[in-house]
Amino acid sequence: MSKPVIEIKNLEKVYEGAVPVHAVNGINLTITEGEFTALKGPSGCGKTTFLNLLGGLDKPTSGSIEIGGVDITTLSENQLIDFRLRNIGFVFQAYNLIPVLSAQENVSFIMLLQDRPKEEREARAKQLLESVGLKGKEGQRPVQLSGGQQQRVAVARALASKPQFVLADEPTANLDSTSTANLLDIMEKLNKEEGMTFVFATHDDRVIKKARRIISIEDGKVLSDE
Amino acid sequence: MLKLAWRNIWRNKGRSIITIAATMFCVIFAVVLRSFQVGVWEHMVDDIVANNFGYLQIHQKGFWGEQSLGLSMDEATLPMDQWAEVDGVRSVVRRLESFSLVSTEQSNRGSLVLGIEPEKELPGLQLQDQIIEGQVFAPGSDQVVVSEGLAEFLKVSVGDSLMFLSQGYRGASAYGQFMVSGIAKISNPELNKQLVLMPLQTAQWMYNGMGLLTTAVVDLEPGADHKEVKAQLLPLMGEELELLEWEELFPELIQTIEADMAGGQIFITILYFIISFVLLGTVIMMVSEREREFGILVSIGMRKTKLAFVTVLENLMLTLGGAFVGMALVKPVQFYFKYNPIDLSGQMKEAIEQFDFEPKLYTTTSFIINLNHGAIVFVIGVLVSLYAVWKIMKLEPVKSMRA
Repeated sequence: MSKPVIEIKNLEKVYEGAVPVHAVNGINLTITEGEFTALKGPSGCGKTTFLNLLGGLDKPTSGSIEIGGVDITTLSENQLIDFRLRNIGFVFQAYNLIPVLSAQENVSFIMLLQDRPKEEREARAKQLLESVGLKGKEGQRPVQLSGGQQQRVAVARALASKPQFVLADEPTANLDSTSTANLLDIMEKLNKEEGMTFVFATHDDRVIKKARRIISIEDGKVLSDE
Repeated sequence: MLKLAWRNIWRNKGRSIITIAATMFCVIFAVVLRSFQVGVWEHMVDDIVANNFGYLQIHQKGFWGEQSLGLSMDEATLPMDQWAEVDGVRSVVRRLESFSLVSTEQSNRGSLVLGIEPEKELPGLQLQDQIIEGQVFAPGSDQVVVSEGLAEFLKVSVGDSLMFLSQGYRGASAYGQFMVSGIAKISNPELNKQLVLMPLQTAQWMYNGMGLLTTAVVDLEPGADHKEVKAQLLPLMGEELELLEWEELFPELIQTIEADMAGGQIFITILYFIISFVLLGTVIMMVSEREREFGILVSIGMRKTKLAFVTVLENLMLTLGGAFVGMALVKPVQFYFKYNPIDLSGQMKEAIEQFDFEPKLYTTTSFIINLNHGAIVFVIGVLVSLYAVWKIMKLEPVKSMRA
């Protein structure tokens, strides 16, 4: 049986205002190693907020999120940043690469933050770019790459830090069908061959079809878990 | 990180060029302004002090305050040779100075009379270069050289006679009639209006003070520090003598310089305020442009302190670059106007001359001014960078990524 990577207990996120909004409303969930999980739901259902909480980018109102035995809700700001650097990979909807760095530099940048030796950074960045089908594009800057290629660089960057899991927020939203298929194939391959855990927030059916676990969220609650 | 900072500089060339140009022009304006201000005073002090009065003067105690011949020194009792042997001293120049009413048939004027030995004098009173008409008097002769302004006022020319009437040593009458052997243009406007120069022995004779001196001017070797020389000379002073440095001789000149410098400082401060807001504007623009990117970098694991460091580094590279270019570009301007001063004309010239200042604008070539202003602009760059640091430290990744 696979070991749990993320354990979520009674997670709540309430946005205070004239009428308090329960963006995440008492979610309990366990995600185990090697999962390829999609969080689906309509816009505004709370899946991005839930993903932000999982990634330690936002603080919950209550509840706990244990990643590898560490409750990240108790960490200080700097501890959280360091934790994200070493344990979580992010793929964003808008790629979010650093425009002044080349594809290879974008991938190795995260390893630079981890103080890894230069040789290791260069070798791993090359290997990751090759594994996402971007061999020969190492020196290109984001603006010289297509949307699909940029998102593949983002996937390589997310994996560069050797994280426990990758969180992807609408990773295919800005991609055409060919690029989407390519990207999903790559992530599926990484999941199967390297056992990397992926959690997507998406409403793209192409992603949902590939997922082996589908969690439906509505009004901040888990509606179904298949 | 350095590479990241360097590349970030060039991602928005327009903003970077604005920052560099603003810094550069600020340094240039501030340095030019200060160079002229300091240069004019430097020239004036050099003229008054180095050329005419000397950095150090020795008198009988109390003479400088009272300007009385009764407080003269007996040359025979002075250790002039010992003073001249002190390190940094080129020579010790002997003078007898007093006042006299100088008259012609038509007019008269109270004048400063200086008994000197031109060949041993400071550069401004050696007279060879200053004579514009006639010639230098012969030693011990009954001839005088009159400053240009006084000659114009008295309407005298070479060959005319002047009558002198004054009080001599110990209340004796001092009078004499001397022929004008030459007219000299004295660079200091105040002296040029009232100075009469005569041979030292003639002055001693007229003032009934044979063997007396009022002043021993210490002429310094080029580059010698007058304060160091003063320290060496002090033990050689008798109790009855005073050794004054130029700042003590002309305290009002120091006050005028300080007041003028303070006025200039206000103008430069306004300039710095303007540049601060220009630089702050570019930093605000940069932070606003890159807020989303900052959010991403923090999200993927970059500590805020590291991010702030890179951002400050970018800004410092720009301001340092601008400051260096400004400091370098302004140097030829400083050199040019030091040797080619701006001649003032018209009302400006008249206004300046009323204050007995030479109506010419000189610059100084002192690099300290460039360094000071370059450093100040650099510090401004550091301070405005703190805005970026503040924004980064209070950044929330989720909100920033929505920007």
